Amino acid sequence: MGTPALALSGIELHYGFVRALDGIDFHVEPGEVVGLLGDNGAGKSTLLKVMSGAHRPSHGTIHVHGVEQSFHAPSDAADAGIQMVYQDLSLVEPQDIATNLNLGQETLRRGPLGWLGFVDRKEMRRTSEKELDRLGVRTAPMTRPVEMLSGGQRQVVALARSAIRVNGESQGILLLDEPTAALGYEQTKNVESLIRRMADSGIAIVVVTHDLPLCYEVTDRIVILNRGRKVADLPTAGADRDHIVGWITGSRPSMFAEASA
Amino acid sequence: MTSSEATVAGAGNSPGSAPAPAGAGQDMPRAVSVLVFFRDRGIFVLWGLLIAVFAFWCSPYFFKVDNALLIANAAALTALFAAGVGIGIMTGVLDLSLPGTAAVASCVCGWVLTHGHATWLGLAAGLATGVVVGMVNGLITIRGFNPIIVTIGTLSVLSGLAAVIAGGYTFPGLTQLEFMGTHRYLKVGDSFAGIPAPVFIVAAVFFVGTIFLTRTRDGIRLMAVGGNAEAVRRAGIHADRYKVLGFVLSGVLASLGGLVSTAVVTEANPNASPQIIFNALTAVALAGVALTGGRGSLPRVLVGALILATISNGLTIRGVQPYWATVCTGALLLGSLLVERLLQTAVSERLMTANLSVHEKKV
Repeated sequence: MGTPALALSGIELHYGFVRALDGIDFHVEPGEVVGLLGDNGAGKSTLLKVMSGAHRPSHGTIHVHGVEQSFHAPSDAADAGIQMVYQDLSLVEPQDIATNLNLGQETLRRGPLGWLGFVDRKEMRRTSEKELDRLGVRTAPMTRPVEMLSGGQRQVVALARSAIRVNGESQGILLLDEPTAALGYEQTKNVESLIRRMADSGIAIVVVTHDLPLCYEVTDRIVILNRGRKVADLPTAGADRDHIVGWITGSRPSMFAEASA
Repeated sequence: MTSSEATVAGAGNSPGSAPAPAGAGQDMPRAVSVLVFFRDRGIFVLWGLLIAVFAFWCSPYFFKVDNALLIANAAALTALFAAGVGIGIMTGVLDLSLPGTAAVASCVCGWVLTHGHATWLGLAAGLATGVVVGMVNGLITIRGFNPIIVTIGTLSVLSGLAAVIAGGYTFPGLTQLEFMGTHRYLKVGDSFAGIPAPVFIVAAVFFVGTIFLTRTRDGIRLMAVGGNAEAVRRAGIHADRYKVLGFVLSGVLASLGGLVSTAVVTEANPNASPQIIFNALTAVALAGVALTGGRGSLPRVLVGALILATISNGLTIRGVQPYWATVCTGALLLGSLLVERLLQTAVSERLMTANLSVHEKKV
């Protein structure tokens, strides 16, 4: 194993007197998909927010590609090559796909019109198309407003946007919060294959989900949290479903009993 | 709006670089394109119908160049304020302080001019007032207050301030401003009386505004903030700055409206007439600009203002009591809401089935 794309060690986070995260060690390799499981309130989303820079841990360190980082805001994490895809999609519905993919990184026209801030819509459409083709997801014309897309197509656009952004830097990190919530069967399959393809291109991916089948389908490794502690960390292949459910509900003792005792 | 324009344009022929042949499950069904066209362009059709009806009903007086100019001139002020309200709404803020901004701007201009300063200075001071008011509105609102309440507050402050500046009177006799008021340009001998100055101003504002909102980075981001401010923030853009920019643009357009009305009557009046905002809102609503923000287009707002002026003009020619004009406008507005709802439902129903087939074939 080389340097992990993202490594957290000894992360603790307190909300007042509540200890939301308690000594969490976590890492994800480039090209690896790690599923983060746990019951409601186990701390999955909190941990994800620590990784995305939305929360600052009370203790613990974060290393990105071996370099220690401290995130004061989500933009710091974005600068370090970490992109978060939110559960409620962050797309501007009345705008078209190309605009949404380029939001915040618009291509300006060359020459004087560019100095005036004129955007090059054609170029943006072309590059968006190319990026989506590379990811193997061409769902609709680039000029279609997002509000006219189905839920699955929207999720694909949201994922692709983040994927394009982390790809700019070499081997970025993608954080997905419930990527298939509210999607139908076929749409879920599409998103699953997109996640796999993104990982195959070298992106490190963390997936928070309630969806066990999704976890089995796309992840390489499963990390389970219970009441703010890591209770299991094991390869997906060969993981026993009953054991996983046991860890999630807390009926099964932690794999790291000696550490937390 | 751009996206809708693009939809209509892109629905028929997908971009040239697309490898897949057009019509291979990627394009919207024909029926949807037609429905979307009527949803986005219906107001132009409606205006055309109105003109046709009045052309016959009020013939021979209605369908003439002179009358067209009359309508354009009558629509000009409403259009300016409607642009202000419209840009505000598209950015996701409803700015109700426009009448106050207009009153203060015209009084500031009147004060500067009656104290013997140059005309350009008066106009610049008036427009600067709009910028300042917009900044104040914006900076208060981004602290997490409701824009409607904030701008009601500033409306009250501003209308008081305007009266204070004017000392309880008006600033009469501002003939220096006539060049942007009643003066007519492009006169051709006796056959053509020329186009009134406000029409030029409105044309310039709507042209520049449309280009800005659809072609430039800041304009597109402004619309995006109206559509989903949180998404824009997550994309790493300072969404709040664009909210303030929306207020500033809205304030500048309001002060411009105030200055033009001052120029037309050559008198700066400190009375902030709430009628202004209601006319403007009617035009914006007719234009189908959703109050939720992020949608709408300036050309449609312009046509909304023109429709109001056309109705009142046509009915006046026929000698119908002027009260009926507002009745008609109101009825038209309610009718357009109904049609828009029907079209929207039809579009989404068709798209539901269309999307399923897209998924089977493509992804």
